[in-house]
Amino acid sequence: VSTAELTRLSIAEAAERLRRRALSPVELTEAYLARIQADDPDVRAFITVLADAARADAKTAEAEMSRGQYRGPLHGIPVGLKDIIQTRGVRTTCGSRILATWVPDTDATVASRLARAGAILLGKLNCHEFAYGPTGVNAHHGTPRNPWGADRMPGGSSSGSGVAVAAGLCAGALGTDTGGSVRIPASLCGIVGLKTTYGRVSRAGVVPLAWSLDTIGPMTRTVADAGLMLGAIAGPDPADPGSAGVGVPDYTADLGAGIRGLRIGLARSVFFEHLQADVRVAVEAAARALEGLGAALQECALPRMRHAGAALFAIISAEAMAYHEPLLAKHAAAYGPDVRSRLLAGQFVLATQYLKAQRARRVIAAEVDQALTAVDALLLPTTPVPAPRCGDHEVTLDGVTQDVRAWLTRCTRPFNLTGHPVLSLPCGLTREGLPVGLSLVGRRFDEATLLRIGQAYERVSPLRGQVPPLA
Amino acid sequence: MSVSPELLLTVARELSGLSLDPAHLEPVVPQLSAQLAGLAALDELDLETVEPAIVLRTDLEGQP
Repeated sequence: VSTAELTRLSIAEAAERLRRRALSPVELTEAYLARIQADDPDVRAFITVLADAARADAKTAEAEMSRGQYRGPLHGIPVGLKDIIQTRGVRTTCGSRILATWVPDTDATVASRLARAGAILLGKLNCHEFAYGPTGVNAHHGTPRNPWGADRMPGGSSSGSGVAVAAGLCAGALGTDTGGSVRIPASLCGIVGLKTTYGRVSRAGVVPLAWSLDTIGPMTRTVADAGLMLGAIAGPDPADPGSAGVGVPDYTADLGAGIRGLRIGLARSVFFEHLQADVRVAVEAAARALEGLGAALQECALPRMRHAGAALFAIISAEAMAYHEPLLAKHAAAYGPDVRSRLLAGQFVLATQYLKAQRARRVIAAEVDQALTAVDALLLPTTPVPAPRCGDHEVTLDGVTQDVRAWLTRCTRPFNLTGHPVLSLPCGLTREGLPVGLSLVGRRFDEATLLRIGQAYERVSPLRGQVPPLA
Repeated sequence: MSVSPELLLTVARELSGLSLDPAHLEPVVPQLSAQLAGLAALDELDLETVEPAIVLRTDLEGQP
C-alpha cells in the first residue's frame, strides 16, 4: 500500500485495518511522517514535529495490539494538535514569537484523553497568533498553504489543523473555536470541523482566548471521524470550571440512521444575505439534497441575531485583553500588528458595554434555543466567501466592502455567543475550484444529530472523495 | 463619537497603568470606532429585565 493511499484513509477506515491487524500503527505513522518530511517545509502546517516520540508511541501501540489490548478506534491513529493545546515536555508556541520556547509541564485534558485513547501525536500545528484571527496568516511561523490554492488563505485560527488534515499530513486534528476558528479553516480547506457545545469538551490546559467563548473540536476528513474524535475527548472535567456534567453518547451509534422526518431551518434573512454567488449555489444545492434525503426544510426568523457580532466583539475583546494584559505590558512589540491592535481594542471596552453584551447574549441565545424547538438543526453557509487571497484585507460582496475578518466570521461568531454546536462540512467547489462550507447548528449537547445529518449529506456531497490539487 | 490615539493613550496610562507605544494605538482607533455603533445598537434589544449571561448558577450542592 502506498504512502499516498495510507494518508488518504479516513480514521474509521484506518482503524478498521488496524483492528484487523491488516495495517500496523508503525506503518501508518511512518507514512504520515514521510509525507510531513516531504511536504511540510512548503506546507508549513506543523510548528513542531514529534517524529521520534510518534515512532515510539506507534511501536507501543503495535505491541499492545499484538497482545490483544485494543483501545478503540483512535488506537494507532496519527493526529495533530493546534499549538495552543498544552503538551507536557513539548513546546507550545501559540503561534507566537513570545512563547516560541515555552515548554509546559502538563498536558491539556484533551491531549491526555487522546493519548489514553491510543492516538499517536505527530506534532503541534500552526495557528493564527494566540488563536486571535480568522485568516490563518502568521508572520512568525509562516502561513500554512491552503491545498486548494497556494495563494489562498487557509483560514484560522486553526490554520495548521485545517491544512494538515486536508493535505493528508495527519489523520485528524484538534482545533479551538472562539469565533469560528475550527469552522473557518474547515470551510476554506474543504474538510469537516465540529465546533462543540460550550462545556462539552474540557478547556483545561488550553491557552485561553476568551474564557466564556472558547471551545475545542475535531477537524477531520469525514463526518464519522469527527464523531470518533469527539467521543474520545468529550465529557466532564473537574479541571475546567466551564465543563458541563453531561454524559457522552456513542456518536457513531446513529450515524447511519438517515434523516427522513428531520426538520431543518434556514434563516435566509440573516445568513443568506451578501453571499458570493458560487457559495449561494452550493449551499442552496445542499439544502435541496437534504430535502431529497427526506428532511423537511422550513424558514426560521432570527431577528435578534444581527446584534450578535457587536455583542461578541465586546466579550471577546475584553476577555482576550484581560488574559493578555500582563504579556502585552512586557512584550507589546513582539506581537504581530493585527493581533496586537485587536487585543488593545479590548482595553477600551467599558465594563458596562461588556455587561450589556452579556445581557444581549442571553436573549440571542434564547432566540436560537426557541428556533431549535421547531427544527432539529439550522442550515447556513460557514463562510460567505471561499478562501480569500492571502494579501486581501477587504472583500466586496454585493457592493458592500468590509474587512476580510468580518466577512469570514459573519456566520460563525453568533454560535460562540450562544454556545450551540455547529458542524461544518464541505458542500461543493466554486468555479475557481475552491471549497464551500456548509454549517449545521444543533441543540446544545446534541452533536449526535448534527453528525447524523452530516453523514447523510456526505454520501451525496459533490466533494465526496475529492483530493485537493496540492495535497 | 471621537476617539483619538492620544485619548486612548491617556486612558490606558491613567486608568490601567499601561504604558503603550502611541504607534500601536493608531490601528485601534478605526476598530473601536467601527464597533461602537454596534454596541450602542444593543439598546434596541429589550434588556431591561435580562441578567447577564455570566451570572453564576449554583449546582446541586449549592456551590457557585
